[in-house]
Amino acid sequence: MTWVQRGLRYLRLLAVVLWASAFASPAPADVSKQFELSLQGQFFPGLSSDPADIREQFFTGIEAEFSSDFDSEHLIGTFLPYGRIASGGGEMNHVDIRELNLLYTQDNWEGIAGISRVFWGVTESGHLVDIINQTDQLEGFDGEDKLGQAMIRISRLFDQSTVDLYALPGFREREFLPPGQPLALPFTISDDKPLYGAGNEAQHMDFALRLSGYQGIADYGLSWFSGTSRDPEFVLQSTGTYRPRYPLIHQAGLDLQLTLDSWLWKLEAIHRTFESDTVTDDFTAIIGGTEYTIYGLADALFDLGLLAEWHGDSREDRTTVPMQNDLFAGLRASFSDTQSSEFLAGIFSDLDDGSDSVRVEASRRILGDARITLEAQSFVNVDSGNALSYLKDSDFIVLSLQLFF
Amino acid sequence: MKHAGVLLAVIALLMPHILQADTSDAKARGLEIATQADERDSGWQFQSSDMEMILRNRAGKESRRKISTRQFEVEGDGDKTLSLFQEPRDVRGTAMLTFSHGLEPDDQWLYLPAIKRVKRISSRNRSGPFMGSEFAFEDLSSQELDKYQYRHLRDEACDPYQCYVIERIPRYENSGYTRQIVWLDQTEFRSIKIEYFDRKDELLKTLDFSDYQEHPGGFWRADRMEMTNHQTGKSTTLLWFNYDFETPLKSGDFNKNALKRLL
Repeated sequence: MTWVQRGLRYLRLLAVVLWASAFASPAPADVSKQFELSLQGQFFPGLSSDPADIREQFFTGIEAEFSSDFDSEHLIGTFLPYGRIASGGGEMNHVDIRELNLLYTQDNWEGIAGISRVFWGVTESGHLVDIINQTDQLEGFDGEDKLGQAMIRISRLFDQSTVDLYALPGFREREFLPPGQPLALPFTISDDKPLYGAGNEAQHMDFALRLSGYQGIADYGLSWFSGTSRDPEFVLQSTGTYRPRYPLIHQAGLDLQLTLDSWLWKLEAIHRTFESDTVTDDFTAIIGGTEYTIYGLADALFDLGLLAEWHGDSREDRTTVPMQNDLFAGLRASFSDTQSSEFLAGIFSDLDDGSDSVRVEASRRILGDARITLEAQSFVNVDSGNALSYLKDSDFIVLSLQLFF
Repeated sequence: MKHAGVLLAVIALLMPHILQADTSDAKARGLEIATQADERDSGWQFQSSDMEMILRNRAGKESRRKISTRQFEVEGDGDKTLSLFQEPRDVRGTAMLTFSHGLEPDDQWLYLPAIKRVKRISSRNRSGPFMGSEFAFEDLSSQELDKYQYRHLRDEACDPYQCYVIERIPRYENSGYTRQIVWLDQTEFRSIKIEYFDRKDELLKTLDFSDYQEHPGGFWRADRMEMTNHQTGKSTTLLWFNYDFETPLKSGDFNKNALKRLL
């Protein structure tokens, strides 16, 4: 056990003690609470009526958030547990501690210890630079949901920039959709524990450094990550199943946005190197594009955004890398109605083999405080040689209702 | 008759100058009043407050928003403003940071708590509605002196005060207005009423200020603002609570990375 892990253990203990005292002390510190109840239906109209195929399933989820400043000017504690129950039960039920941390601020310094989530990046149709948290694949196909990650972060805030240093103990494996689930990988994942590039496996301490800030019209981020990759490779076993392997990597990242009147220009780029002999070669990947907004259409009823982003990857292999030379083009309408209605429609096209996938998202506020969201994706035309060909019958519609208390 | 002709010709020649002298006087007087109002409201350094917004459609159906705001005064530039959304609950925790720059475009960031993402957004949409209300972004933004060209129109009673009435024409780009007419009371230079004229120069909205309170340092704030849209019949009421000019705020609290740690 390294000193950082020992330190983190003490800090977790301190967090628990502070939380307990916040609730239990005779004059308890003010704890703000909020709850989000979500009801979701997922529909897969393209799948066969074979009973083995899941054509619809339902979820009930609850996310709670407790936060308190413990009557201190410098501290903020956050506890954010999440859980959901699936109509099919079993492995689709899911619990995660998204956050359990203490944030300490003093002048231009900031430190956080515990489980937290971090987002880096600027592009809309994909995220390359974002690397701290493991993707939560059980929650959504778009990869926007993340598992909580244990960390110690120390930040120095300057006027127009910030430097963050992260120590990340306790690697979290990706949780795969169980076999038979729509959108699950087209091969069987081994039940054996994963393989690791690091000798001390999931105990390996990862590090990350980030400089981010803005200067005039430019917002930038430069990042460095060194540790266990969040993306697994798959190693074929003698039993015919695939065992996830998490290699040791170093990754440099750049994200940049230029905000010029109605134009937003965005770029994300990463270069990843692998520490030892692995099945994957070093690679560079980029997403670059623009968003142009026309304001106040139809008598100021809505703003229309036009989006285009190109995805490129030096591995160039369309059979294994989904976004090796792909273009995303989309329309976003943001309405100025009191329900804050939003609509997004877009198409991903593989420029090498012509595979297309169409995606639609729409949401609006209902009943004063609740929100209803529709998300649909169709793999209209997927070439049999494309990395996403296993999804060709997996068109889906997801309807969600979120209630807030 | 010959002399009369010369006189007429002289008057005709001088007429534009006489009129111009009149308008430039009115402009100088307008700027003078606006400058005094600006000086009266300078030097507060920082302030925070809570705001409740009540939106009413033509049928009188209401919806509400709650927002906490913090402001930091910047000498020689526009102010820094942090708005933290509390209600409706589906946007709770969303925060907006604005560095206003007078005639230059503002710098603006939005924090989306569900995905922990800070996004730089375009500030071009000055004339767009703020959260579906009758207030446009430009109505709520930092009011810098050089954002308008001024003209004094007249003095008149504005119950219970005596008011200066000045016209101001936006000098910044992308305004939704050709002009605004502002009533300022003659003792404290508080805004009592503003009329907004749309791009066709038709009366669009009226904003009425009431329930003024004096805060430490002699700064006056209206606890109630009522915006009425004459063209749609919709209205929005702003109610202000918990004005605080005393709890210190630092420039560092107004940082795009600090958006993530607001309570």
